[in-house]
Amino acid sequence: MTQPILSLRGITKHFGGVKALTDVSLDLEPGKVVALVGDNGAGKSTLVKVMSGVHRPDSGTYLFEGREVAASNPAEVADMGVQTVYQDLALCDNLDAVQNLFLGRELTGPWYTGYRVSRAAAEKRAKEVLKRLRLDSISLTRNVGAMSGGQRQNIAIARSILWEPKVVLLDEPTAALSHSAAEQVGDLVRELASHGLAVLVISHDIHHFVLDNTDRIEVLRLGRNAASFNSKDVTGEQVVNAMVGGNEAVNMAG
Amino acid sequence: MTDASIPPTPTATPTRSLTERLGNELSFVPVAVGLIALFLFFATQSDVFLTSRNLSNLLVQSTVTGIIALGLVFVLLTGEIDLSVAATSGVASVFMAKLVMDFGLPVPLAILAGVALGGLVGAASARWVTLIGVPSFVVTLGVGLVLNGIQLLLLPRTGRYNLMNSGVDQLAATHVTGPMAWGLVLCAIVLFALVMGSTWRSRQRAGLSASFNAGVLLPVVIVALFLVGVLVFLENQRGLPMPVILFLALLGVMSYIASETRFGTYLYAIGNNAEAARRAGIKVDRIKITAFAIAGCMAAFGGILSASRSLGVSVSSGGGVGGGALLLESIAAAVIGGVSLFGGRGMVVGALFGALIIATVSNGLNLMGVANEARLIVTGLLLVVAVSIDRGIERLARPG
Ligand SMILES: Nc1ncnc2c1ncn2[C@@H]1O[C@H](COP(=O)(O)OP(=O)(O)OP(=O)(O)O)[C@@H](O)[C@H]1O
Ligand SMILES: [Mg+2]
Repeated sequence: MTQPILSLRGITKHFGGVKALTDVSLDLEPGKVVALVGDNGAGKSTLVKVMSGVHRPDSGTYLFEGREVAASNPAEVADMGVQTVYQDLALCDNLDAVQNLFLGRELTGPWYTGYRVSRAAAEKRAKEVLKRLRLDSISLTRNVGAMSGGQRQNIAIARSILWEPKVVLLDEPTAALSHSAAEQVGDLVRELASHGLAVLVISHDIHHFVLDNTDRIEVLRLGRNAASFNSKDVTGEQVVNAMVGGNEAVNMAG
Repeated sequence: MTDASIPPTPTATPTRSLTERLGNELSFVPVAVGLIALFLFFATQSDVFLTSRNLSNLLVQSTVTGIIALGLVFVLLTGEIDLSVAATSGVASVFMAKLVMDFGLPVPLAILAGVALGGLVGAASARWVTLIGVPSFVVTLGVGLVLNGIQLLLLPRTGRYNLMNSGVDQLAATHVTGPMAWGLVLCAIVLFALVMGSTWRSRQRAGLSASFNAGVLLPVVIVALFLVGVLVFLENQRGLPMPVILFLALLGVMSYIASETRFGTYLYAIGNNAEAARRAGIKVDRIKITAFAIAGCMAAFGGILSASRSLGVSVSSGGGVGGGALLLESIAAAVIGGVSLFGGRGMVVGALFGALIIATVSNGLNLMGVANEARLIVTGLLLVVAVSIDRGIERLARPG
């Protein structure tokens, strides 16, 4: 059993009267892909935002590499080595893949060039990273606005790991994707874990994406831990039952 | 928004289509072609048009609009607009004239003070926009009127400062000829070649695809031909007019900033997706304020140049109340040059082509003996056509 790199213990977060999270615990281990599933409004995105430093929990502890951390703002959490890819990707459509990968962290030349952006160095580095992730088919020089949804998703994920984080959090990376594009993202997610990263991925696609690409499934229901499964030993029905609660056989597979 | 119907292609073409390039680094090509067409048309209509005396005039005519448009491009790239640039140019030129005439300040200092005032005005407008979140067109519309009022307050009872023999007139009247002029042109070509060459070399060193012919030789030859052409044409007139030299120098610097520096990249990023830029750690407000400040400085300098050419400042400096034709033509120059009003698209060099087109239409129609109203109609139609072409290219470049 590997030691978790990021652990949440007894996290509670209320928005006014809305109990978004109550006493939630979660572990992420290096080299493992954990799926976070739950019905709409179960608190998944809120939990990710707590982990990425966007929200401070009302109570509970945040442990990173075994030490308790404050995780009170996103920049601090990112510096610690926890990167988040939100559902809207936050790409600039008028820039190409290299510019998007390095946006805000451009490599620059010396002062007498006016801190000129070192395009060649960035492109070289981007090439290496994309190759490592088996994403070499992505064009580095086309505007990302002209790319498919799957390619854009992959660029957003590649950007999150460019500076070698230890944990990557993905909020619904396959929500708007076709089946084959989702499979590509699945490949990428497993590729990340094979490089030793701890990956958390939110998805509603239990039957395909979650069962095929993750190691463990954590179920949230009404803001509480409802169940935890080993992805290998569980069926889609069991997971869905845990999501909606009780033993009623509710068929959510669309 | 995301296109689920296109499966991710494992063999995505690394090469980019012509439409995609026209939407990016070649965005100035349609307008350059249009400019050449206009030149040919007017050459057939008037014997005087292609004389060096007339072309010299035309170039100088384009400089004030062009310099104001240059700064405006930065603001437009971020998805904002500054409707006070003409008023800024007016108030800065009157301020400069007042410092020289009433306070006896040395001319260079007065010019610096005028430019600084423009920068301050731009920064202040942008601070207001980013702080309160009021759209920039509203804020700068108001600021423009305020500046018009201040301009009237700054002027003496006579409503005019005469700048003849004040020293300010030298700015526009100076011509550079002979070895000096050739030296300047050579310097510009060498600098440009250095920039393009170093890009090529660093790509080659990094083992990336790099074409010497397309990446260095062709652009350098084009720029060299243009500059040498301008020089040869103007040499047998009175040499290179200072306004033209200043305009081209500013064009070079602004182009470099927009396309090569971090700040330039951020202008484009913010114009396309400000939220993405913010999350990438870019200080969006600070970049916008800087862009407005630069636009203010450029507008002020354009105004000062205009004052120097017309040997005085008056109520009508800066296009008169509301900015008048000067404001509209500055915006039109940027937009005709391919800069999108919606932010994130266009090149700085577009301001040159746009300003040249506007000056050419006005100059050519003048020579043909066409009345002023026709000039306005033609310029207006050109603007609509240019924006339509731009939109068309943008649509073609999109997937699906
Ligand atoms: N900033 C906020 N202010 C108030 N309430 C919030 C806020 N963010 C989330 N909530 C509430 O917290 C609950 C959990 O929301 P959350 O977005 O975490 O759900 P989710 O599991 O991600 O759902 P979905 O599958 O629809 O994305 C919901 O009831 C939501 O309305
Ligand atoms: Mg959510």
